[in-house]
Amino acid sequence: MKSKLLAVGMLLAAGSVQAQPSAPAEIKVGALYASSGPYASISMPVFDGFKLWVDQVNAGGGVEVKAFGKKIPLKLIAYDDQSSTATAATLYNQLITQDHVDLLIADSGSVLTSVGVPIAKEHKQFLFDVSGTGAAFFTDDNPYVALMADPVSTIWPHYISDFLGDEGAKAGIKTVAILYSTNDFTGTQAAALKGFFERDGKVKVVYYQGVPTSTSNYTVLINNIAALNPDAVLELGYVGNDIAFLRNLQDSGNQFKFVFSIYAGTEKEEIEKNVGVSALTNIYSYVPPSNYVYKPEVGMTQQEFHAAWDKKYPPGSGVAFGANAVYGYMTGLVVEQTLATTKSLDQMDIHNAVFALSGKLKTLDGTFELRKDGAQIGEVTPLGQLQPAGKDELNLIAVYPPDLANGKAVIGK
Amino acid sequence: MHKPNRIILDAAIATAVVAVMGIARGVYSNELMLFNFIMFLTLAQGLNIIYGFTGYLPFGYVGFYGAGAYGFSLVVMHLHVPAMVGMVAAGVAALVLGVILLPLLRLSGAYFAIASMAAAQAVYEIVANLDLESVTKGPYGVSLSDVFAPATSYYVALAILAGTLFLVVWLRNSRFGMSLQAIRDDSVSAAMAGVSVVRGRTIAWLLSASIAGLVGGVFAWHISVFYPDTAFDLSVSIFSTVFLLFGGATTLSGPLLGVFILYGIYNVIGIAVPQYFQFTYGALIVLLVLFLPNGLVSLLTNRGIRVP
Amino acid sequence: MLIGAIVAGVVFGLYYTLVGLGLNLVFGVMRIVNLAHGDFLMLGGISAWFLFTSFGLNPFVSVGLVVVVFLLVGLPIYYLVVPRLLRSRDSEMLSLILFFGISQMIEAVTTIGLGATERSLPPRLLGVGPMVILGTRLPKAWIFSAAASAIAVLLVYVYLYRTRLGTLTRAVMVSREEALATGIDVNFVSAVAFGVSLALAGVAGVFAPFILGSITPNMGVAINITAFAVIVVGTLGNPLGTLLGGIIYGVSLMLMQTYLSSWANLLPNLLLIAVLLIRPEGILGRKTRRA
Repeated sequence: MKSKLLAVGMLLAAGSVQAQPSAPAEIKVGALYASSGPYASISMPVFDGFKLWVDQVNAGGGVEVKAFGKKIPLKLIAYDDQSSTATAATLYNQLITQDHVDLLIADSGSVLTSVGVPIAKEHKQFLFDVSGTGAAFFTDDNPYVALMADPVSTIWPHYISDFLGDEGAKAGIKTVAILYSTNDFTGTQAAALKGFFERDGKVKVVYYQGVPTSTSNYTVLINNIAALNPDAVLELGYVGNDIAFLRNLQDSGNQFKFVFSIYAGTEKEEIEKNVGVSALTNIYSYVPPSNYVYKPEVGMTQQEFHAAWDKKYPPGSGVAFGANAVYGYMTGLVVEQTLATTKSLDQMDIHNAVFALSGKLKTLDGTFELRKDGAQIGEVTPLGQLQPAGKDELNLIAVYPPDLANGKAVIGK
Repeated sequence: MHKPNRIILDAAIATAVVAVMGIARGVYSNELMLFNFIMFLTLAQGLNIIYGFTGYLPFGYVGFYGAGAYGFSLVVMHLHVPAMVGMVAAGVAALVLGVILLPLLRLSGAYFAIASMAAAQAVYEIVANLDLESVTKGPYGVSLSDVFAPATSYYVALAILAGTLFLVVWLRNSRFGMSLQAIRDDSVSAAMAGVSVVRGRTIAWLLSASIAGLVGGVFAWHISVFYPDTAFDLSVSIFSTVFLLFGGATTLSGPLLGVFILYGIYNVIGIAVPQYFQFTYGALIVLLVLFLPNGLVSLLTNRGIRVP
Repeated sequence: MLIGAIVAGVVFGLYYTLVGLGLNLVFGVMRIVNLAHGDFLMLGGISAWFLFTSFGLNPFVSVGLVVVVFLLVGLPIYYLVVPRLLRSRDSEMLSLILFFGISQMIEAVTTIGLGATERSLPPRLLGVGPMVILGTRLPKAWIFSAAASAIAVLLVYVYLYRTRLGTLTRAVMVSREEALATGIDVNFVSAVAFGVSLALAGVAGVFAPFILGSITPNMGVAINITAFAVIVVGTLGNPLGTLLGGIIYGVSLMLMQTYLSSWANLLPNLLLIAVLLIRPEGILGRKTRRA
């Protein structure tokens, strides 16, 4: 069986070798990750998910590269930036100028991606931006970047405001408090949300406050919010912020009809470990691809991927399964499809191949769709709620929009 | 060695370092790594001016670096001036911060080190504050793509390094430098011998601050996208301090050795296995303080050999 | 809201007293700054997490274990490092750098061993829900953490003022040279003080998940800056002054968070600089320190 496959492969290869005689022995993929520091908790799952894809592809003999008409093994060159943008900048340079990578994958999150954008542009190297959603990265004059795995922050939160203006208003929600951490990711979402609420005019924003991302104590802030008695509270922060907020909220005894936090759903397993089930019950969040089943046309389904993840990274061994794991794997799928269609490894050809996938590529992360400037506008996640399912267990149920919902929202204290 | 010979040796070392860093750019293409070397070579010497010559060790040295980075960015962003004008603003911003923090020189030892660290943190909190978003872009960071010019800024950084090295050469060989060292060793006797203690310290402090500000400015220019936590990253202070102490303060060659050896190892090993490197780094610092508190060069100076 | 902020501030301040207390004790006795104090605190938190997840130990039980282990670990660290450090030309200054090195080693080992993700203890261990004090709702976990802090402060007071070892310790604080001349085993007294200081950091660490939400290997630096502010405000080298510093810090932080929240993080730094410049001997200090 194996030799047969090999023979077929060689035949296939022979057919095209004439056209492209100079096929490289390996495709070099450069990536950064942060094993420590504030971004480690979003970076490591992405990197592990991506690595899972690389290993899988290499186990199958490499990735199909159309330009050479054959399978070529991948060589992953990865460096640890330890969450430091200064280190990350040097390392992006290293990958481009010293390692001469064919494909460049950014570290996850806006902060660590930010320094890579101008460097990639300067060196005319296409940057696969996994989850750096900062709106400023995407401009019409820069063809060397595209956002892979989650939507740009300015459109991401619109189901929240739609839901509150629609079903929320019916259930008596009139006022909302927005508390956010001041970084690109959550700051932009907060501003977008405020804009949506003001535009729609159905729910009034009574509290709008940014706090440093390093904030670890929300008790007084929660008391201040409670003093205004809003119907809904939206807390937009990183994992550490959400843990502290949700714990402090439970401890404070204050209750609101609707409470939203990004990572309660996005990194459900991680948050559950730190916050406990009772503090999470009926909290709203995004329903990430790790908790929602899309029908992929390419790559593994969510269940298959989860199983592969648990096999490679047994539960309890460190990095928990979650949305970021899917993002890493999904970026791999985009790379795979790009190599399967690109004319050459020239960076503009890679740009063209990536953009040609827009609207057509359906993975376990939903539909991949790019705006002309490289911002991701597909893959918008539904709004969900962590509803009790049996004793000491929570299910993340998609409740909005109606066409994606698989359950009903429970609004109330 | 005769004094003129000493000056010639010092100047030769300074020239050689600048030449090597200038030529390296043509040979090795990871420009940013070389640029970081230039930054730390300069910062370690800037710190040398205040610590080596007066005994004050500001843990918050990064505050001046950050002030310079933002001084540069603010005038370039808001006034749309050429980058060289921004560099002037960088120096001035750090100088002004240095003047504001002059009262800290009344404190001594650990009190001074901690207070300067708090001051750097305070400047960071102000710059990064959301309420000042319209001025500094707050926590969302600065983007200066209009003036992005890696080659030019590299050579400007090199010029700053050259200026700093020759300043240290001058300090080591001038009456002013000698009087500073006299203050460090025994301020009471120095004052009695007619040395103006306050004036000497003030000049060294402001020189040191301006150098960090210029480095911060050229960093902002070279990298063009950065967040306040990058510009005020405490590890800038810490790296500079460790490089300086590892090599040996007050000398010209000590801090140079410190940067080339430690930052060199950092870039070779640290990139691949940062945590093991971090551990080794920590251990090295502990051993250094316990067994070689005056730095590598003290291996020679203890034997009575003069080190440039 | 005003009373609420003050009550919360006092409770919070008691915890920060505990955070700063050990740091101040070491400074008072040895005139060195343990820049790794925050990292020992982190290790205390990790220990509590480990004891809970592996053996199901309640934090009130693990506190006892942590105290004993950290106290015992402190002794050899003292003898390995401090006497040699104190013989150097500028030990106060060099201690900052030396302990920074130790802090780096601790952070590296923890990250290698455990990864960098947040770790926490379930809030229910200290009781769920609020407790009402003077009309202010505060988390139960805070009250218990503050109570534990108060007990620790009390025990340190007993140790310093009601035991023979404490009398000797205070003698060393006044003058190391004179204590040495009168035949006190200065090194032993200091080693115990160092161990006690680590034990205090460990206790603060056990309660850190309940006050700070979670613990990460790199949290040490931020903790240190706050701890400095607390002990400088409350008088460097005077362990009991830390109580005053902690409460001043806690109350002003809560007031800032209530009325001017975006500037709250500026506060410890400004407090520290202001106190150092206006009254470098601290609020309780006598003018004996040579500046």
